[in-house]
Amino acid sequence: MPREIVTGNHAAGLALSMAGEANRFARGTAAGIYPITPQTEIVERVAAFPFSKGRVVPVESEHSAMGVTIGASLSGARAFTASSSNGLAYMVENIMVAGFYRLPVVMVAVNRTLGPPWNIWADQGDTLMLRDFPWIQLYAQDNQQVADLTLLAFRLAEDPRVLLPVLVCMDAFIVSHTQMETELPTQEQVDRYLPPLDLPHRMRSDDPKTLGGLVWPDATVSLRKEIHEAFDRVPMVFEECRQEFRDVFGRSPAGAVEAYHTKNAETVLVATATIATTALEVVRSRRAAGERVGLLILRMLRPFPIDQLLEACASASRIGVLDRDYAAGIGGVWAHEIRAALQGTRDDLLVQGYLTGIGGGDVTAERIDEVLVDLGQRELPGPPVWVGLEDPAPVPAAPPPKAPLVPPVPSGVEATP
Amino acid sequence: MVEIRIHGRGGQGGVTLAKLIATARFLTGHSVQAFGLYAAERSGAPIQAFCRFSPEAITDRNLIYEPDHVVILDPTLVGPGVTRGLKPGGWILVNTELPAEAVAEQFPHNRVAVVDATAIALENRLGTRSVPIVNTALAGAVARILEIPLDDVLAGMEHLGFGGGNVTAARSAFQAVAIRDAISPDAEPESARPGPAGRGASFLEGAGGERPAIQTGSWATSQPKRQQYVPPCNHICPAGNDVQGFLHALARDEVDEALGILLRTTPFPSVCGRVCPAPCMQQCNRSELDEAVNVRQLERLAGDVGRVVLERPEARSQRVAVVGSGPGGLSAGYHLARFGYGVTVYEGAPEVGGLLRTGIPDFRLPGKVLDREIERITDLGVQVVTDHRVDRRGLMELARAYDAVLVATGLQQLRDLRLGVGGSDMALQGIDFLDQVKHDQARLDGETVVVVGGGNTAMDAARSALRVGASEVRVVYRRTRHEMPAIAEEIEEALEEGVILHELVQPVSLQAEAQADGDTGSHGLQCIRMRLGEPDASGRRRPVEVEGSDFSLPCTRIILALGQSPDLSVFPEGAEVREGGDLLGLLEHPVFAVGDLATNDGTVAGAIGSGRRAALHIHQTFTGEVVETGDQARVRSDVDLWNDEVIRADALRMHLFERSPGQEGSSLDPRERLDGFREIHTGLPDTSEARRCLSCGVCNECDICVTYCPEGVLKRVGHQLVFDYAYCKGCGICVTECPRNVVFMSHL
Repeated sequence: MPREIVTGNHAAGLALSMAGEANRFARGTAAGIYPITPQTEIVERVAAFPFSKGRVVPVESEHSAMGVTIGASLSGARAFTASSSNGLAYMVENIMVAGFYRLPVVMVAVNRTLGPPWNIWADQGDTLMLRDFPWIQLYAQDNQQVADLTLLAFRLAEDPRVLLPVLVCMDAFIVSHTQMETELPTQEQVDRYLPPLDLPHRMRSDDPKTLGGLVWPDATVSLRKEIHEAFDRVPMVFEECRQEFRDVFGRSPAGAVEAYHTKNAETVLVATATIATTALEVVRSRRAAGERVGLLILRMLRPFPIDQLLEACASASRIGVLDRDYAAGIGGVWAHEIRAALQGTRDDLLVQGYLTGIGGGDVTAERIDEVLVDLGQRELPGPPVWVGLEDPAPVPAAPPPKAPLVPPVPSGVEATP
Repeated sequence: MVEIRIHGRGGQGGVTLAKLIATARFLTGHSVQAFGLYAAERSGAPIQAFCRFSPEAITDRNLIYEPDHVVILDPTLVGPGVTRGLKPGGWILVNTELPAEAVAEQFPHNRVAVVDATAIALENRLGTRSVPIVNTALAGAVARILEIPLDDVLAGMEHLGFGGGNVTAARSAFQAVAIRDAISPDAEPESARPGPAGRGASFLEGAGGERPAIQTGSWATSQPKRQQYVPPCNHICPAGNDVQGFLHALARDEVDEALGILLRTTPFPSVCGRVCPAPCMQQCNRSELDEAVNVRQLERLAGDVGRVVLERPEARSQRVAVVGSGPGGLSAGYHLARFGYGVTVYEGAPEVGGLLRTGIPDFRLPGKVLDREIERITDLGVQVVTDHRVDRRGLMELARAYDAVLVATGLQQLRDLRLGVGGSDMALQGIDFLDQVKHDQARLDGETVVVVGGGNTAMDAARSALRVGASEVRVVYRRTRHEMPAIAEEIEEALEEGVILHELVQPVSLQAEAQADGDTGSHGLQCIRMRLGEPDASGRRRPVEVEGSDFSLPCTRIILALGQSPDLSVFPEGAEVREGGDLLGLLEHPVFAVGDLATNDGTVAGAIGSGRRAALHIHQTFTGEVVETGDQARVRSDVDLWNDEVIRADALRMHLFERSPGQEGSSLDPRERLDGFREIHTGLPDTSEARRCLSCGVCNECDICVTYCPEGVLKRVGHQLVFDYAYCKGCGICVTECPRNVVFMSHL
């Protein structure tokens, strides 16, 4: 396996293309593509790939990019695309369709702040807004994980026990545009790892049918429940996919959850993506100083890995969750998910949310130290803490009372009491 | 771990330099990172790139705040910001042609290395001459200062596909680096870690607060600026009128303001609005799009409709005599009176106005229009003495009695043509005929008339002849219609009224046999046909006789309109009569020639301009004060660059203008016109024609630039265009969208 120095976008583009190429002996591959910063290099790389069987279709919008991808997948092709931020927002209607159609589509999303204000840097708010759609969501930490999880995503999505689309996410620029050493796959390895796709419900000219037409509520219920049960099987299948990855590529891809120093930890930090890398350094140095601090890195949002979470927090009394996202009126999405997951099982745990690196700001070791200091002093959880932002916003004045609207009485007419 | 921060400009290859260094280290087993600090930078904007390498796995995913070394790709970026957080003992590597010592003085606490990577890049043809790509040269220099084997860096370059000139550049720079130790090594590094953030500016704080946005103006390599050109109409106007200025005012429906602008240079807008040949219209850039703006009719509208009361200025002691009350003399008198000088105009004829009065028929210039404009001049205190012809001796007396004398007697010597009928009452001079017509002293009932000449006098005479009863009027001209000096519209109107034009015809003589008709008085005018030969000194093609082409035109009357020349009998023998010349310097007070007498220009507008220049000259003689250039009433708006050149159509963005035909204004039907001397034009109905002015080279506040500015950093404040350079990226869209070329890009 060649070891190279590439960006996260390069790794993603290559993994998507090789996965598509691996289906050349079946129905081939296709992608609807549309550029958006900081994802554009991915679709550029895909568009330049010399596919043996398949087509890359440049379209006029993200909505159509997913539309083409859905159509290609329905025809049995290995289909994928990539997008980011407001582009994902525009794509939403079709993102939902791909999930409810149970299509094994893979999308790489580069997490970029939703505007306005206009901002191109890292923030997970764009993919977290898709959390209630039937998509598996994975969050990579570095270029290697981008390459590995993208390949794994196809294997997972196409497993007949799953048949759900997968979203592979990475931080804008910190991963997407940073050159790092990365083990790149060979086509031969990818061919072995991703067998030809045989989509059970694909469209066939010899057996025409309509998918997703009008149904009664009872049919809708059973389709929804099937999705829920498929999600239930994902952790198990995910682990199988990792094992097969090891067999083919000779190294272990990142897991859905990774726990560091959580045994006997009193305090556990929860982090995702690149923030987790820095957080691990802080936790290691605190451990070295004798503090009982652990770190839980989450890489899967859907399905939410509740069991691993409970296991990692077994000895803990307080959890600090680092969110690089903001859900309006709530705070961090990950903190909210964790609170919901622990509800009724670990009501003793203090869960405090921290908003860090919103809009792509650096989350330095000093910032994470501030979080741990705050967390250590807490008796009770409070509203989300805006880390690194001290001044409160001014409170706008309440509007002046308005006179009630009274319809004018025409002159010369007595108002009736 | 080694951390390097790179400062460069977009296009220089800073991010790739980070990757080159990272790759060189990656190939020797290091863990590496290379990345840029991205926003929406474009070519030329300051950028930062970062490189980390370490034998251990790298866990830091943040920017580099405390670099071990700093590399500066562009010497213009050398400044205090580049050392922020730089660790003691770190290198500062600068691409510059300066010696290391010069750079070391700016960074006393650090080791300094310099290399002229730009020269090396140019030598190796890397990038373009304007944006050389310096990264591979600097990669060689980095190898040298960080003691990375050059072969490792070259291997990294090869791994990334860089060869040829890039390799040579890296080798050259490796050799050429000059280094200098820190002058005072032990200094605390400038803190670079971000502290707690203060609250940023809010969307809700309104226009008063700072906008919550990156100050993108630092990315610009060029900035839009405002400029102004000279519009061709203003440049060509013989009267020196601010043509574009009064059109602007009319376009805003400010008729009084338009008149005020005209009255700065001319006392005769209503007159010129009727009789001017309007060279401004011939030069109008709009004719490249559809048709010239009808400036003549718009000037008439301003003169006829506008209302301006001129203040009488404070009186000055000097008194000036003007000889002649034609447009030149009256213009000089008007401008002198506006300075406050006492002016007396002497006119030989019983009425004021010179040729305006006697030489232009009422159907083109009604007497009452002239009266009104002359009244404006006399209201300023100008005295007019009529029936007072000044001879040579009289001129000397005036030069004694007044502080200055202006002679504006025009062109009174009429050119003749020897046809063998001199002295016979068959042949009339056009000017005399027009004067007789004015005084109801001419009837040509049933006559056949031949007018000789191609100027306005010829046209006026021909058209007047039709109105006093002539049954047939022919105009013979020795060149073609195209070369006729008469206003094109007047030729057109004459033809509409029934005048017959014979082009390329030269009269030779009146034939004797024609006299045999006896009682009828009819003659045969012998003519010869001409063709156009080589251009003469005036640029017009010289007419050449076509041999054997003689023919005869029957006629009972010949009107000669062959042009006039100055009558110099009033001046001492040998006097050089020219504009600005002080004719009688030996006398007590200066005497100047003005108008056609001095310029032989032959237009009312030219005479007005000459009179104005004379007035300014006299004022300068009296007071030493220079009021204006004297040529044009140029109005400078507040721009960054004043271009003294005339803007032509090729400098305008014609495709951005909509086509719309010009308005001619209404006029009488040709059949109605011949019944008397009623004015045939009735003028424009409103000011809308003025809105066709393209405003060549001068901002007319159309605000297209403001509309198209994608950053919203271009505003209009009052009459000013204001660029917010803090945010302007220099995209240049305002320049390409300005139809009239008043915004240009200025390189920083």
